[in-house]
Amino acid sequence: MRATLADRAWYLLTTALRMYRDHADAADWMRHQIDRFEGALRIAVTGPACSGKSTLINALVGDEVAPVGTGFVWYQDGPTPRATLYPPGEAERELPVTRVERGLRVEVPGWLPADADPGEIVVDWPARALRHAVLIDTPAADLDGGTMARVRADADAVVYATPTVAEADLLPLRPGPGSSPGAMVDTILVLSRADEVGGSRIDALSGARVIARRRDRGIAVRGRWQTVVAVSGLLAHTARTLSEAEYAALAALAAQPGADLAGHLLSVDRFTGQAFPVPVDAPTRAALLDRLGLFGVRLASTLIRTDGASQDTLPGLLLQHSGLIELRDAVRELFLDRRQVLKARSALRGLRMAVQVWPHPDAGELSAGIEQALASGHELRELALLASLRAGRTRLSAERTDEARRLIGGYGDDIGTRLGAPEYLDPTRAGTLTEESLHRWRGDAENGTLTEDQRRAARTVVRSCEGLLTELAHTDRR
Amino acid sequence: MATFWLDVLDETIRACAAHGRTDLAHELQHRRAQLLDPRLRVLVVGAPKQGKSQLVNALLNAPACPVGDDLTTTVPTVVEYADEPSGVQATDPVAHQVVGVPRQLLRAGLVLVDMPPLGRAGPADALLATADAVLLVSDAGTGLSAGEVEFLRYAVQRCPTVILALTKIDLAPRWRQVAERTRMRLAQAGLNTPVVPVSAALRLRAAGTDDVALNAESGFPELVGRLQREVSTKAQRLAPHTAAVLTATAIESLVAPLVAEHATPPAEHTTAALQLRDLQHRHDGLRRHASRWQSALADDISDLVSDIEYDLRDRTRRVLRTVDEFFDVADPALAWDSFVPWLEENLRYAGQANFAWLVQRSHWIATRIAADFAGYRPEVLPESTFWPAADAFGGVAELERPALGEFTLGQKVFTGLRGSYGGLVMFGLLTSVAGLPLINLVSLGAGALFGSKSLRDEGSSRLLRRQSAAKAAVQRHVEDFFLKFSKDCRDVARQVHRTLRDHFLTLAEDLQEEIADAARLAKDTADRAAVEQDRRRQELQREFDGLVALRHKTRLLTTAATAGVAA
Repeated sequence: MRATLADRAWYLLTTALRMYRDHADAADWMRHQIDRFEGALRIAVTGPACSGKSTLINALVGDEVAPVGTGFVWYQDGPTPRATLYPPGEAERELPVTRVERGLRVEVPGWLPADADPGEIVVDWPARALRHAVLIDTPAADLDGGTMARVRADADAVVYATPTVAEADLLPLRPGPGSSPGAMVDTILVLSRADEVGGSRIDALSGARVIARRRDRGIAVRGRWQTVVAVSGLLAHTARTLSEAEYAALAALAAQPGADLAGHLLSVDRFTGQAFPVPVDAPTRAALLDRLGLFGVRLASTLIRTDGASQDTLPGLLLQHSGLIELRDAVRELFLDRRQVLKARSALRGLRMAVQVWPHPDAGELSAGIEQALASGHELRELALLASLRAGRTRLSAERTDEARRLIGGYGDDIGTRLGAPEYLDPTRAGTLTEESLHRWRGDAENGTLTEDQRRAARTVVRSCEGLLTELAHTDRR
Repeated sequence: MATFWLDVLDETIRACAAHGRTDLAHELQHRRAQLLDPRLRVLVVGAPKQGKSQLVNALLNAPACPVGDDLTTTVPTVVEYADEPSGVQATDPVAHQVVGVPRQLLRAGLVLVDMPPLGRAGPADALLATADAVLLVSDAGTGLSAGEVEFLRYAVQRCPTVILALTKIDLAPRWRQVAERTRMRLAQAGLNTPVVPVSAALRLRAAGTDDVALNAESGFPELVGRLQREVSTKAQRLAPHTAAVLTATAIESLVAPLVAEHATPPAEHTTAALQLRDLQHRHDGLRRHASRWQSALADDISDLVSDIEYDLRDRTRRVLRTVDEFFDVADPALAWDSFVPWLEENLRYAGQANFAWLVQRSHWIATRIAADFAGYRPEVLPESTFWPAADAFGGVAELERPALGEFTLGQKVFTGLRGSYGGLVMFGLLTSVAGLPLINLVSLGAGALFGSKSLRDEGSSRLLRRQSAAKAAVQRHVEDFFLKFSKDCRDVARQVHRTLRDHFLTLAEDLQEEIADAARLAKDTADRAAVEQDRRRQELQREFDGLVALRHKTRLLTTAATAGVAA
């Protein structure tokens, strides 16, 4: 069997637990790391103030669960809605929750001082999206790095929501001291107010997508994040929760000829004004504005009028436009499918911290093992290459791109999928396939006509093929 | 009015130059020229993606600045009037481009500067000093951020005319609340910045369709009106107002160091005064010390004399005792010649030891007194503590040989004969009874016997006499020695006393004079320092008064300018 990063992390964790069994604090920490390693992937949604973090969480969960408080709020899957407050240095307390129309409201005690650390709130909520991952809503990522440091300690992966790609908004993402290259294999950047690009004109989202792609391929950003996705959180969330009444109102709008309506969709004042030609009353219009924004109203009415979107198809179309599908794909491909790697990485980092905090006379070998695993973990390199191929930062021929993604586990981690034959594969055939691939990519790795970047990618694929060969050899012996 | 603000500004410039703040003077000079320029430069600033360039375009109804979905404006764009549309690149003071647009709004002298986003380090700072007014652009969707308030606070110090444009009100459902909140926030921050909600999209569309109502909805007419009013009344309102703020800021920065200097408490204990006090203290100490050391010296010397005398007496007595014992046994006649060097030797030794002690003691006395002076001057020992008188220890008489009464041969014969005569006669008579002649063998024998006895008796009595004579002679000699030597010692001690007294008296006088001199000097210095301090304080007060007068004028100017603004 290949020694995966997860295996090594597990081995190192258990070794460390044995080593520190006489040390209560350290042992607790190790046990906590082991629990975390076995638990669900933790994804933090963070970003600067007013960047739409909570809206993005609502869009991802599909219900209105955020925002809850000012501190860190964890959303995990649970059979019944529940909220527990963990104030710093005090016993946990259950918080009363009420189900509201589209989600949940948590009664946060008003006595929490605004400037003190409000502690953490854990919200249990039955949702499919939370089955494989815990989402963490965080306070605004400020420049002093306090929030980001805690995010990096608590979460395995980060979705960083930012209203613009201006450097000032991205400062909290800058690599901290001592971070290794490729340290950000755990970050997806989200242009979270994509619907506001270019004054919310009708093609705002495509404009945002263009920006996202441009950022994704920029050389300057290499290693700072895995990929950039443009998402309108508001649109996405509303699309997932669009009600019949709302659709009816939108349909009534769309029934009006476009030219008549255009003047009234110019501004929010005109849309909610008295002289509105459509028999939709003002409160409904105001509610629509809250739910979709002016951009959403324009887009939805256009979609109904020109594409004939029905109540069944409109949410899908809106969702597609919102960019949430791309975000979910990215999260699945880069985070969820690779959760073993990401969690192993978190565990190793936690372990490294523990060894530094509680030095142990025999820990030399352990810390060497941790450093080696973190530095040489081939899976981390696979993950970085996968994101690079995905974003188009590394360009190979179409055929090669597909093969590379397959071989480094972009479609699935098991041998069959990697070799392009998911059904039963006899070992001899598998060996031949692997060796062919190995030969091909080795050639690429030494091909002087390719760019350095392409050759680096080829070297990573070669290393993956070698790993496959080792694994096959072990299987044979058994 | 126009001349008044210029007067105040000029006076402030002069004050800056007078206070050595040429940088401030230079900057104000620059601003002065700018305020006299009829054109109005408006800096359009704001965070990224707030719609700054679009705002400029909407103001002019012309695509003067490029707009885009991504970050677009990277260098400042100066938009000014031109008969024909034009565009040039320039690099002074920072890289920027100049765009000429034929628009009526600009003709009156309005110049718009579209700035790159405010960031960590931008050219905003350098350009802020060249602007007459600032137009801060903020998205109505998000409201004013802490950074924007901070920037406003900073900007009004350098450029008091600031307008806040809340953009994109066509998209923000709650822009009215946001505007209200923004106004309250500004009021809390102590800024009376007007807030103008606008929508560039509506304005541009209104221009495209000639829709007057839509144009009114866009909020731009108010913004345009404000800008036009600022341009047309620049000399009457904006210039005095700006001058008031600039001069106030400049004067504050001039006053601050003065106030700081004034606030430092006058150093009551300047170094000179401290030194003076110290010197007086030393002087008093020295005077107290003078009487003490003199009596100590006298006591020491009298102790010394008595000790030395006793020591010498003791030593000579011991010599005498030895001599007595010696001459109880020895015959001075035989031993005298070898005895004399021994005695001289012993006496010399006694004298030397005694004298050495004297030297040692006098040195010790000198050291002890010198130690008392050590606090005033480090090396105060006299060069030598011992000056023997020229004739000291010279005049002890030679030990004269006493009359020892030598037993000469004639005397011996005579004595023997005298003794033997008695015996001879006595026994001759006795034997003559027996019939023997007077001179016979017996009488001869007896005569011989008697002769020898009397010879012996005579010898021993003479020895005793010699011995006592020798003892007496030695005693006399030693007494002489003692008398002479002790006198010399006493003289030397007195000499030492006198020398030490003179030496230390001179030293004390010296020191006293020295300290008095130093004290005089220190007093002079302290007086001068006090005078200087007084002068500096008066000067400070004068400078301060000048600045206060100037500040008063500035306040007048501010009041007038505010009244003008209100009018």
